[in-house]
Amino acid sequence: MRRLLASVLLMQALCVDFACAGERLQLVVTQPFLEMRSGPGRGYPVVYVVGRDETVTVLYSRTDWFKVRAPRGQEGWTRREELALTALPSGAAAPIPPYPDFTSHRWEVGGGYGVYNRENLVTAYADYGLTDSIDIEAVVQQAFGTLDNRVVASIGLRHTFIPEWKWFSPTAGIGTAYQHIADKVPPAPLESNNQMAYVSLGARGFITRRFMWRADWRHYVVFNNLNVYEDLEEWKFGLAVFF
Amino acid sequence: MEIRLSSILLAAALLSGCGWFHRGEKPQNQVVVEEPQPDPSIVEPQVTRRAVTTPRIKAKDVELGAYFGALSIQDFGVNPVYGARLAYHVSEDVFLEGLVATSKAGTTSLEDEFPQITVISNAGRHFTYYDLDLGYNVLPGEIFLGRGRAFNSQLYVTVGMGDVKFAETDQFALNFGVGERLLITDWLAMHLDVRDHVFETSLTGRTKNVDNIEATLGLTTFF
Repeated sequence: MRRLLASVLLMQALCVDFACAGERLQLVVTQPFLEMRSGPGRGYPVVYVVGRDETVTVLYSRTDWFKVRAPRGQEGWTRREELALTALPSGAAAPIPPYPDFTSHRWEVGGGYGVYNRENLVTAYADYGLTDSIDIEAVVQQAFGTLDNRVVASIGLRHTFIPEWKWFSPTAGIGTAYQHIADKVPPAPLESNNQMAYVSLGARGFITRRFMWRADWRHYVVFNNLNVYEDLEEWKFGLAVFF
Repeated sequence: MEIRLSSILLAAALLSGCGWFHRGEKPQNQVVVEEPQPDPSIVEPQVTRRAVTTPRIKAKDVELGAYFGALSIQDFGVNPVYGARLAYHVSEDVFLEGLVATSKAGTTSLEDEFPQITVISNAGRHFTYYDLDLGYNVLPGEIFLGRGRAFNSQLYVTVGMGDVKFAETDQFALNFGVGERLLITDWLAMHLDVRDHVFETSLTGRTKNVDNIEATLGLTTFF
């Protein structure tokens, strides 16, 4: 652990402002003025104003704010919507990337809380959209029970029935999973590792910008050598960022 | 003498006559080149084309760093804690955060009083946790240092959940925190955090929720 921390500190020490290297985007102000604030937030004061036809250099971005440099060297933060109204020196529109479209986004990363086999569950997942309606998702989660703790990893496909429904869209999925059981209270489980298969029903929806929610119910069938049918149930709710 | 003079005159006359006969003939080996007539409707470009690439804007939404502080493990004293932090800023208000940290518990007052009693083994005194948090920047602002320096800052609150491994057992833990992020530069931040890890345990004889409050100082880099 300390070695990990030392590595993090070393990375910090070696971290240089990579944005300084290479060519930077130059944009011409086409509106009457462009406001520059002291920080990347709506409440920070305006510290400088660049006039029409002047050129600003875009240094980097943070969330919805872009750090820019005025012709005489003053630096400040400007909002995405305002910077999008500037133009390239050629006259073309400024290449300010828009928010990813929720209905056709490709990547999701998120986490959340749930209940797995009546145990508290912490879950984290990554999801890639093969098409607008079919995703492949990988999930890692840890369940905390009174008798045992479990680590569950799964991979599967999920279908979003109506991806163009932004605020609420039902989903269904199918996949395979693996669970490891670590007992807390004797006796030890007869099998501590199992392959599983699952089906799921759920829903997803847009919150704002790159933020979304997801809810899921899963039914697992456990493949065991105990000659008994074993199934588990899980539900969870999570928040995610999409790209 | 007269004959010689006549011969010279005759030769001169013949030479001049040859010039007369060849008058108007074109040279035998001359090639006639016609000048191409330019089409007035086509304008040949005078500049060479070059590929124009628009520079990309680097997004610095990810924060990575380490922290150090004191963790009060309920019933087991106050101990140093070391941790790492990874955060992603979704908007100017909201961020997602993951924390990993470790500490080592001390002894309970019972163990201090009666050294022959051991509540947990030495290996079980390792206290490690991970958290998945949702954070909200409640009070963004500036901190002034003297007359000429201002640092951007954000007071934030976090709520999340995760795992605490203590006494060689993993427990589900909730955590609640409040912190101050002070941006020394736009890419380097200092954090002051107070966070409570709450989980259920029966280590000291009866089942109860324990509060494990930590105060930490951290340094992070935006990239």
